[in-house]
Amino acid sequence: MFDAIVIGSGMSGGMAAKELCERGLKTLVIERGRKLEHGASYTDWMQPWDLPNAGLIPQDELKQDYPIQSKCYAVNSATKHYWVKDSEHPYTTPEDKSFAWIRGYHLGGRSLMWGRQSYRLSPMDFEANAKDGYGTDWPIRYEELAPWYDQVEKFIGVAGSKEGLAQLPDGEFLPPFALNDGELLLKQAVEETFPGRKVIPGRVANLSKAQPHHEELGRTSCQNRSLCERGCSYGAYHSSLSSSLPAAERTGNLTIVTDAIVHSIAHDPTTGKATGVRVIDANTKEGRTYEAKVIFGCASTIGTAQILLNSRSEAFPNGLANSSDMVGRNLIDHLYGLSVAGILLKGPNTYYHGRRPTGVYIPRFRNVTEPGEFLRGYGFQGSATRVGWRSAALAMPGIGAELKQRVRKLGPWMIVVSGFGEMLPNPENRVTLNAGDTDQWGIPTVHISCTHGENDRKMAKQIIADGKAMVEAAGGMVMAAAEEPGEPGLGIHEMGTARMGKDPKASVLNKYNQAHDVPNLFITDGSAMASSGCQNPSLTYMALSARAAHHAVEFLKEGKV
Amino acid sequence: MADPLNLTRRSLIERMLLVAGVTATGGFSLPALAESAAGNRHLDAQRFTVLSAVADTIVPKTDTVGALEADVPTKFDAMLKDWASAQTRSQVAAALTEIDTLASRANGKSFALLDAKTRHDLLAPHDAASLKVLPADTKGGVATLMGFPNYTNPGYGRIKELVVMLYYLSEPALTQELTYEHTPGEWKPSIPVTPETRPAAGSMY
Ligand SMILES: Cc1cc2nc3c(=O)[nH]c(=O)nc-3n(C[C@H](O)[C@H](O)[C@H](O)COP(=O)(O)OP(=O)(O)OC[C@H]3O[C@@H](n4cnc5c(N)ncnc54)[C@H](O)[C@@H]3O)c2cc1C
Ligand code: SF4
Repeated sequence: MFDAIVIGSGMSGGMAAKELCERGLKTLVIERGRKLEHGASYTDWMQPWDLPNAGLIPQDELKQDYPIQSKCYAVNSATKHYWVKDSEHPYTTPEDKSFAWIRGYHLGGRSLMWGRQSYRLSPMDFEANAKDGYGTDWPIRYEELAPWYDQVEKFIGVAGSKEGLAQLPDGEFLPPFALNDGELLLKQAVEETFPGRKVIPGRVANLSKAQPHHEELGRTSCQNRSLCERGCSYGAYHSSLSSSLPAAERTGNLTIVTDAIVHSIAHDPTTGKATGVRVIDANTKEGRTYEAKVIFGCASTIGTAQILLNSRSEAFPNGLANSSDMVGRNLIDHLYGLSVAGILLKGPNTYYHGRRPTGVYIPRFRNVTEPGEFLRGYGFQGSATRVGWRSAALAMPGIGAELKQRVRKLGPWMIVVSGFGEMLPNPENRVTLNAGDTDQWGIPTVHISCTHGENDRKMAKQIIADGKAMVEAAGGMVMAAAEEPGEPGLGIHEMGTARMGKDPKASVLNKYNQAHDVPNLFITDGSAMASSGCQNPSLTYMALSARAAHHAVEFLKEGKV
Repeated sequence: MADPLNLTRRSLIERMLLVAGVTATGGFSLPALAESAAGNRHLDAQRFTVLSAVADTIVPKTDTVGALEADVPTKFDAMLKDWASAQTRSQVAAALTEIDTLASRANGKSFALLDAKTRHDLLAPHDAASLKVLPADTKGGVATLMGFPNYTNPGYGRIKELVVMLYYLSEPALTQELTYEHTPGEWKPSIPVTPETRPAAGSMY
């Protein structure tokens, strides 16, 4: 019997395990994927000329095994081992509503491949549902999460600048990765042309300057290589492998099992509590159970919905903690892929040195300082860079010495801005189980039905219009624009399937991320989110995880769970 | 970091170059190159020779190494074997035959047997015509922007892309033609541009 079980070792599971272990709980982390080793499993040592097949995954293999994962920008021959084979992990969608479920099953989950952009939600975001009536009201406000944001930012290390913006609260930052001259030009143009808009350094969980508490864990400062999604042997960005699990491990309270797929959570109707989890060995396919006093669900938004829906009993015929019928519903992802690229006709005659692991961020301004013809809003990620060899060589015809000469010259500045928009919660966007269709481990596969609504489509149009206007304000000639949002899922910010709320009839979790129906069950991955804001969400999952761990331990001490 | 893989590969390349007859005169013999690598190849000798000549024409040796010195044809052939689908293989093979046929029609000789200038003059207009991009049949989402361009001549498009990629990802190109630091260390947001400044490689784009 453990004190706590954490299901999943990714972004939220790593943080939950650290906080539980540090508070003295004997904690078992159960991970469905294989074990990876910090350092030894990484491919950041590969020089460009070492990349298998010049970075490309064989075409037949891509089509056969990675038709969905390959829609993600970070999938290449150096990172292939971090992505699930779609052929081995099937799910279904309605024919006219595709959804890209992008994932990695291994120790550390997607904390290994993430883009590390880290932004707080703001007071406005926690009030949005109450204000416009979409979704259910958040049971907490910004002020309640702020100290946990402080704690998590300090621990993981977030580089960023203090800006004093109400819609994007400042945090405990390491020095920012400074803007280059192309980006300074964009900043000046945008801030002058559109008062109220800001162009700031992208806030990112990379150690611009490692602090002693990072170095204690063997983490050192970022070397500006931008090889992050291959894993970083310097431990210079936060992941479960480099940061949260080692912190949990040094307490002596951590046990990890890998290759163990949680099938369902067991529940005792007499006590009303969860007793443990049923696990299937990924290799032998044999079943076993683990027991604990509290259980943390951190298997990611869709994974957690799958586990809860599959945990049926007489007391919970529709799945555990699902008396509200909200488990699996309100699936949200950020509007993604709405990008504008433009060439600066008169860019500064300077260059930069190093491959900084971030770019610029343009915080939300619609329905903040400027009106929008839709609810909520969006932020932009972007950068200004000198056009590289690939585009210089391939973007136009030409061969021979002339081609080499062209590539050898420093290219013009290119600005790219890409909008991330808030999707409204909609109970019809949901995850269900395919009764009778099980995977090779006997677990029912999921059916994901999710589509953009009218508000989302209106927003997408304005994202492109605003993106173009800002690139043009900087003197950019717009070369390309992706005017259609990518299918839901591609934002890789899926959330909402076990939302927090005040009303147990309309939500799954209370203000402590504790299931309304099952007091010793806490869920702290993206499924807890009652709305998404437009900010990259992982920092919020981690803050919620740390906060919930604190409360779970208090409740245990008080004999309440 | 010590990199044994890299050392082995480098000596392999050197051995191959010796066999291929890189002589004191400093030139490559295309047929010899084809023969030396014939053991384990995907392309037949004729097409490999054409490929080598095409690669040499797209990225010739100038004051820096060209595609041949960077071993592009051998790597290209390996990618046909290890990476390409049957469709890509046949598109590439057809595109190589097409170039050879163009040469025979215009000059009565295989492409590989032409001198460098004649090859360049023949391939340049073919390159321009082949790389025209047809309008995409889907709407402009991010997938369209990320995908392989809809070239009028997809087989040639692949050849061009692979030759360029394999060249600019090679160690000689990244040390002589461009610059590459695996571990830049410091981020300097602004440095002056001088006549010696070379673009830094490192991203795939
Ligand atoms: C390329 C990429 C870029 C991204 N960029 C950003 C960014 O810039 N900023 C940001 O905030 N977010 C970003 N994200 C998203 C971020 O990775 C996720 O929000 C985050 O990892 C989610 O945390 P999680 O703990 O919910 O899930 P995960 O990190 O996915 O971890 C879930 C873990 O649970 C395991 N698991 C699942 N089911 C079971 C089961 N039944 N039994 C046992 N274990 C199970 C999985 O194997 C996995 O290890 C990015 C993601 C990707 C892929
Ligand atoms: S950019 Fe920094 S964090 Fe990323 S791989 Fe390099 S050293 Fe590691």
